Amino acid sequence: MKLSDVLGHADLSIYAEIGLVLFILAFLGIVWWVFRPGAGARWRSDAQMPLDDEHPQQPRDRKD
Amino acid sequence: MTTSAPAGVVLDEFSYDDDIVRKFLFATLIWGTVGMVVGLLIALQLANPAFNLGLEFTSFGRLRPLHTNAVIFAFAGNAFFCGAYYSTQRLLKARMFSDGLSRFHFWGWQLIIVAAALTLPLGLTQAKEYAELEWPIDLAIAVVWVAFAWNFMGTILRRRERHLYVAIWFYIASIVTVAVLHIFNNLSLPAGAFKSYSLYAGVQDAFMQWWYGHNAVAFFLTTPFLGLMYYFMPKAAEGPVFSYRLSILHFWSLVFLYIWAGPHHLHYTALPEWASTLGMLFSVMLWAPSWGGMINGLLTLRGGWQKVVDDPILKFFVVGITAYGMSTFEGPMLSVKSVNALAHYTDWIIAHVHTGALGWNGFLTFGMIYWLAPRLFQAPLHSKKAASLHFWIATFGIILYVVAIYSAGVTQGLMWRAFDETGRLTYPDFVETVLRLMPMYWVRVAGGSLYIAGMLIFSWNIVQTWRKRPARYDVPVVRAAALRAPEPSQAAPSPGLLGGLAFHRRWERMPVLFTVLVTVAVAIASLAEIIPTFLIKSNVPTIASVKPYTPLELYGRDMYIREGCVNCHSQMIRPLRYETERYGEYSKPGESVYEHPFLWGSRRIGPDLAREGGKYPNLWHVRHFANPRELSPRSIMPAYPHFATAPIDFDVLARRVDAMAMLGVPYGEAVTNAIPMARAQAAEIAADIEATGGPAGLADREIVAIVAYMQRIGRDIATTGTVASRGTAP
Repeated sequence: MKLSDVLGHADLSIYAEIGLVLFILAFLGIVWWVFRPGAGARWRSDAQMPLDDEHPQQPRDRKD
Repeated sequence: MTTSAPAGVVLDEFSYDDDIVRKFLFATLIWGTVGMVVGLLIALQLANPAFNLGLEFTSFGRLRPLHTNAVIFAFAGNAFFCGAYYSTQRLLKARMFSDGLSRFHFWGWQLIIVAAALTLPLGLTQAKEYAELEWPIDLAIAVVWVAFAWNFMGTILRRRERHLYVAIWFYIASIVTVAVLHIFNNLSLPAGAFKSYSLYAGVQDAFMQWWYGHNAVAFFLTTPFLGLMYYFMPKAAEGPVFSYRLSILHFWSLVFLYIWAGPHHLHYTALPEWASTLGMLFSVMLWAPSWGGMINGLLTLRGGWQKVVDDPILKFFVVGITAYGMSTFEGPMLSVKSVNALAHYTDWIIAHVHTGALGWNGFLTFGMIYWLAPRLFQAPLHSKKAASLHFWIATFGIILYVVAIYSAGVTQGLMWRAFDETGRLTYPDFVETVLRLMPMYWVRVAGGSLYIAGMLIFSWNIVQTWRKRPARYDVPVVRAAALRAPEPSQAAPSPGLLGGLAFHRRWERMPVLFTVLVTVAVAIASLAEIIPTFLIKSNVPTIASVKPYTPLELYGRDMYIREGCVNCHSQMIRPLRYETERYGEYSKPGESVYEHPFLWGSRRIGPDLAREGGKYPNLWHVRHFANPRELSPRSIMPAYPHFATAPIDFDVLARRVDAMAMLGVPYGEAVTNAIPMARAQAAEIAADIEATGGPAGLADREIVAIVAYMQRIGRDIATTGTVASRGTAP
């Protein structure tokens, strides 16, 4: 039995629903990450990065 | 905003490599002009076939891929590299990882472009749109791209800025995804130094191609330029982006959604319906992030709109970003099946891509280079007035171009589907629907000429600015904070929600992990869409009567590929009444199982050929190739008189049939017997041509091979049609 036979007989329709749920969760996760409390300061400082060619907004630690 | 380093901080001294940015800038000017001039030439060819110049190297089918490759990979590509090398170093506060890799990337890319400009007119092509370049060049592209990625990642690892600005995210996604797309779509089996056959066939090849083709638009023309927008728009507007939050949502939504959208290029074709629907849904979802991005770009000007009046750079950016909004509004609309039924195969699609390419990619590039030139050449811009003139000429050119070509597309689409009151096609003669477009084609020539005039003014302005450069460029020493020792407070994560998000902070600082996440997002989408098409049998039902091409027909098919016939002729009849009335029985998935590569096409400048076999006698084809206007007086097809004189290179057939057999095409005895079989069939066709009153002595001329192929297309399933002589199938 070839892989194509196995897949051909498998009912994959449930995967669409699983995919939908995963996508919505991923999207909600990103939205939460973007709007989570306390992130505003970081976004404000990140948005300044293109405007200064010399000075890092947040210099890196050596361990980063 | 930090304007000076705090006291007591150790500073690193380094400089940015602007020499590489200047190199890419000049390459952008040169290749942009070349690509656009070739575009003008092929626009003229459609308005009047005399512009094919009577040379096999300059026919539309061979030059069209040269135009698309030049403007996408040479003009837009070099523009992206130019802006990316400038912005990346400054956003990361670090010089590029390796000057050597930067130069290797630059010269390698230019050599690839030269190789493309030489091989495409010679007819060396894989016949897949935007992936025409043959396998040795594909390998070179992969090597140069890896060098670019290595250089880029190395710079990120040596950066002095903790966070990665969103532009860098867009660059990373572009670099990673283009690599994946390029490698998987170009997998092919070489059958000669510059000849190969796609590993995939028919439906699968079409699927891979448009998974690649659409994402070439997404990850070569959209995400890189969005990265540039998020850097250069704040620079030009002298303020931060409107909403950094929105830019993050923009980024992740595009990365998650874009990769699924490809199948919308194959609506109503032999592609399984579920894939087509999936492509449509994801395309419609792209509306939201695309418009979010456009709004974010435009509103970066908040409070500064009056600056647009005086500043040609902002003019270019505002119109460029608006064009991004226009074309990303139109794209999802075109992906809706019922709209696509009208628009597919017409000039509507050509107008759509030119809104994007001329408006978005072109204008963003112009604005960016006008902004960069004084900084890179350390002299004021030669003429602001000329820059404004460029803006107005180019804007007017775009409007002329797209208005003409939108109306051409809708006109032809409506003519194809028009039925008269008795239920017959109103315009049964295809050439009638082409002639109606001629006025629009001349307006396109005018619009394109204006755009090129703007490009020339632009190039002159930049070169004049360059001539005012100082004897030696000043290379400013940047003093940025060195990497700090970690602060104790950060070493121990504070407790709280999910450990104070310490895990998350670590993630954000790890570009490698970020890159892996992007790759995973892209890979999941690709695999979930592609694997079922390959592995589920019901998606491509086979048809017992469909047999491989004979060796001579295969040779003819390779000529069809070489001449770029696929650029004007589709071979995919959709199951719509106005298509089956005009062309015959609709195309089935099982009919193209041996089509390495698929030749379904995407535009009907000429009629569909999927049921061409047996429609006309052999002699008709001989005369039609020699001079199409002898049989169809107002046809715009180039003439191919050299088919009747060029000898068939029978010797290549053994290798080509062998390669096809290795790809799983059941050639049977033809593998060992290809050349005698081809000679026998050629003699048979030549005899028929002579017997019906045509020229004698064609048995070893290329014309019999292409006639053999034309007579075979679409004949393997029972359809009605005139019976013409044809060779024996293996």
